[in-house]
Amino acid sequence: MGLTRTLSMRALTLFTVLILVVFFIVIILGATGTSDKILQAMVNEEVMMLRQSLAKTIKDPQELEKVINIRRQELMEFYGLTKPWYIRLPDMAWRVLTLDLGKARTLKTFAGGNKVSDIVMERLTNTLILVTSATVISAIIGLALGVRIATRVGGILDRISSYLSAISYAIPTWWIGIILILVFAFLLRIFPFGGLYSTPPPSDFYMRLLDILWHAVLPVATLVIASVGVWIYTTRTIVLNTAQEDFVNAARAKGLPEELVRRRYIMRVAAPPILTNVILGLATSISGAILTETVFNWPGLGRLFYDAVLVMDEVVVIALTYIFTLVYVVARFLLEVLYVILDPRVRY
Amino acid sequence: MSARFKEAFQEFWRLNVSKIGVAFLTILVILSVYVIATYPLDFGVRYWNNPVYWADHPKSAPPSWINYFSHEKIPEHYVFSSDKPSNTSITESRKRLIYLFKLDFQADRTPTFLSLTIKNVTYYDKPVMIRLNVTRPDGKNIELYRYTVPAPYGDESPPYRRFYDQPKRISLTGDMSVASTLARFLQREYNVTVKPSEVNSIGQHTVIFSVPKNNTQFTVLKGDYVFYIMVDTYDPRDSIGEVKLVVGGDVYGFMGTDSLGRDLSVGLLFGFPIALFIGIVTSTITTLLGAGLGIMGGYIGGKLDEVIQRTADFVNNVPLLPLLIFLAFILGQNLWIIVFLLVVFGWPTLTIIVRSMVLQLKSGQFIEAAIAIGAPRWWIVFRHIFPQVAPFVFAQLIFFTPTFILLEAALSFLGLGDPTMPTWGQILEYGFRSGGIYVGLWWWIIPPGLLIIWTAITFVLIALGMEPVVNPRLRRMK
Amino acid sequence: MVLLGLNHLRLYYKTVRGIVRAVDDVNLNVESGEAVGVVGESGCGKTSMANAIIKMLPSNVALYDGRIILDGLNIVDLPEDEVRRKVRWRRISIVFQGAMNVLNPVIKVGHQVAEPLIIHAEMDRDEAYKIAREKMKLVGLHEEVFNRYPHELSGGMKQRVVIAMALVMNPKIVILDEPTSALDVSIQAQIMNLLKKLKRELNISMIFITHDIALASDISDKIAVMYAGQIVEIGSAEQVLLSPKHPYTQKLLKATPKLTGEEKPEFIPGTPPDLVNPPNGCRFHPRCPYVMDICRERGPGRFEPEKSQRVMCWLYGGENE
Repeated sequence: MGLTRTLSMRALTLFTVLILVVFFIVIILGATGTSDKILQAMVNEEVMMLRQSLAKTIKDPQELEKVINIRRQELMEFYGLTKPWYIRLPDMAWRVLTLDLGKARTLKTFAGGNKVSDIVMERLTNTLILVTSATVISAIIGLALGVRIATRVGGILDRISSYLSAISYAIPTWWIGIILILVFAFLLRIFPFGGLYSTPPPSDFYMRLLDILWHAVLPVATLVIASVGVWIYTTRTIVLNTAQEDFVNAARAKGLPEELVRRRYIMRVAAPPILTNVILGLATSISGAILTETVFNWPGLGRLFYDAVLVMDEVVVIALTYIFTLVYVVARFLLEVLYVILDPRVRY
Repeated sequence: MSARFKEAFQEFWRLNVSKIGVAFLTILVILSVYVIATYPLDFGVRYWNNPVYWADHPKSAPPSWINYFSHEKIPEHYVFSSDKPSNTSITESRKRLIYLFKLDFQADRTPTFLSLTIKNVTYYDKPVMIRLNVTRPDGKNIELYRYTVPAPYGDESPPYRRFYDQPKRISLTGDMSVASTLARFLQREYNVTVKPSEVNSIGQHTVIFSVPKNNTQFTVLKGDYVFYIMVDTYDPRDSIGEVKLVVGGDVYGFMGTDSLGRDLSVGLLFGFPIALFIGIVTSTITTLLGAGLGIMGGYIGGKLDEVIQRTADFVNNVPLLPLLIFLAFILGQNLWIIVFLLVVFGWPTLTIIVRSMVLQLKSGQFIEAAIAIGAPRWWIVFRHIFPQVAPFVFAQLIFFTPTFILLEAALSFLGLGDPTMPTWGQILEYGFRSGGIYVGLWWWIIPPGLLIIWTAITFVLIALGMEPVVNPRLRRMK
Repeated sequence: MVLLGLNHLRLYYKTVRGIVRAVDDVNLNVESGEAVGVVGESGCGKTSMANAIIKMLPSNVALYDGRIILDGLNIVDLPEDEVRRKVRWRRISIVFQGAMNVLNPVIKVGHQVAEPLIIHAEMDRDEAYKIAREKMKLVGLHEEVFNRYPHELSGGMKQRVVIAMALVMNPKIVILDEPTSALDVSIQAQIMNLLKKLKRELNISMIFITHDIALASDISDKIAVMYAGQIVEIGSAEQVLLSPKHPYTQKLLKATPKLTGEEKPEFIPGTPPDLVNPPNGCRFHPRCPYVMDICRERGPGRFEPEKSQRVMCWLYGGENE
């Protein structure tokens, strides 16, 4: 059916993008010598552990050095450090793809471990919580208000919303977050300064849930404020344009009740272009998430990115670049599936 | 062509948003020109990032105008300096230069620090000696500090020059000998026992400017303070340059200071030309590149077009910020690299749109006619395609500028900015990183953000004003 | 038997330039089984009249009065809800230019054809679909078109769908507003044949709106010529085509190219009238070759030079008739 074919094509394209990005990352790493550094660190780590365990059995220092050097040479060959970086490309690419990047330099997981993949994966959920709630809330408000304004074009609400939408294009998300903290956390002391839980976190499950919610209010509010203007404005414009289409008029001439016309002839038809705008705004949502998490010290992938850059932990930076691309590609694909379901015109 | 310009400009000027936008832009440009003319190019490295330069400024101080709104009078920042003594007293052994600084102190809180700086000392015989005394409003006099300029080294010969390259700053705040002196003073005059270490933690500056209630509480002493700096020289040829006394306030300047004491008005001003530079230069390069590739791909078609299109598609399908962060991280924090990265990620949007415009134009009849009469390709592009595409491209240039300003600010905020050039994003980054929000240093946090927004809005307004000119369909609706 | 009677129907709109008198005192009767062609230039008010008949009024309506009598009901006075339930589609349906944008792009066409049955007649899905399929077969569409989306159909097929949709509730009158304008001439011919066949077999009345008088002549029993919001001439097809009385009708016919004969088509000088400020007196007078003084001052009455042929022109009657 046309549906499956279209979707497979999109999946293929997006997958190609992911692979290309991974290769791009790896090439840059190789060309700047960073991958050498990382692999060397992994070798040194293993050698050090080996030294510690061998030191117990081999007492002669010269003998010890000899064994260690042999092992080091073996490791260097194993990791490909004896060859130029471009030979190592597929291997590095595979490593990045599967997040097999060894240990972080300084950062740690919540439990204290330092495996990169662990550090990254445990924060994924936090980011997803933040971004999904913000998106859902923005969508609800944006759609509701957008539709409302579309029926009263030219009114005061319309003008306010279009100015707000233009202005929100000029205001950095993270600054909104900072201002919210200044006002609501510092001045009014209603909400916390940041973080996921209070310290110490409450032990009771429901209290803990409430605690998380309380901490989530300001960051989610920041994301919503930054994006809702655009939601409202694009919804309004798209709904307005759709409402003026001939088939809407024809539907009314058919004697269909206004409620049905609104639902099936306006909203249902406006859904695909609105969704397109959501897809286009996906990258912005990701940037917004990174910056907002940083400001609010929300322990998700975004904040991790900031921390990793701050302490110059390359391995985590690489892992995160990949994960973000992966998240983006997956999210995009899911949305495009939704789009194809909604709009029969794009199926081959 | 110029008739079209005139008409377009009139259309543009009709809207209020355009006028406001241009007004803002003019202010931005004037400020930027002023900064470029007056600041040195290495301002970032030489002054901004140089803590020594800011040593005598109060740290984390709000702007001085805040005193108008405060019910409590906050101590101002006083800098006394002179290179000529107010008095001279000569005896046979020495010539004493006396520098007198009077201060009528009326604040409700004591100053935040006290420091003495001397510059350019030359002596021929015995090292110059410097003494600092203060007479308080209650008549009590304290000899606060005594200092002898370093003696000649082994192989040195007169004249002995000291503190020419680097002025000598003596901070009374934190000095234990001053603390001991003050401890004795308190004991003697007020019968209050405070250990020198305690004096040090309360603050030498606090003790000097207050009266003890008991041995832990001090009330500020308002009135006239006279500081005497006595410089004893032992050779008629001896000289001293500038003598400076700083009574540290808790407010400073027009925009306050950050936690390193840097004058924010200076730093923020510097941000104007940089923001404009980043925004406009990046935008221009991106637009030219994007439009150029779009025209080439659209007009020439074939393999070139395929390649350009695929690349543009790929870049568009990649999440922007994570990759930007990755590349800035790996390639280094340099202004030009950032500009380069922004261009790399910015060109595809324009290319795609321009390409489809060119495709539409290409099938137009006047192109056919031009080809029929044998016009060369570059002529057709220049004469027919480009003028049609130009207004839109120019509008996009303006429209992209705020995006780039914001992106640079975001990168700086994450700590990836160019450390040699203080941009607004970087000032904010430092404020955030040092916890400024959590202690409410609003003068540090709010202005940079507002300036970023203001600059971005300027371009948004101009772009809005240009929209009806570029998009004729909207023109009639107004 | 008169099925639909329009009596002094007026529809004015409010615009920035003033009040547009789109339908200005129109009188028209449609008999059962009769096809009435309404002919006129663009902007003369034909579509507004169609909208007025089914009470599809825009938000800026300034005046809507007169009588539209159908089955004893005056549609003008009928509340919107009743118009929606009783009149639209059940009794009067309308065929737009289907080749354009009249079908919902995200819903299968078969469902759209069946939709009125589900909503109005409250039939269940399967029943409604059955009837819809029948109607689609009637208009000559293949069975598989039922499950297609509009973008998968050609212009001619879409037009047939729209016609099937219009017929699905067996209305008494079908208004067709420029049903073939967007189609190729060959498809046009097919659709016209279909319409003629339907008229014959189902005995429905039609109001056929078009700017093309030749097209109207193909199917109409009666022809009404509209100019500046008024019907300036009405009569049987033969009367209007073979002995046109109104100077405008005459010019319209002369402007049609003829396959046989040496005559070249003539154009009508001047511009179509401004419906906000129509000319004084007879609205056609600035372009009329036979203009008289009285034409400039007073709007003409309706005169009947032949039986059942009425004209609004001072040439055919004086003030006292």
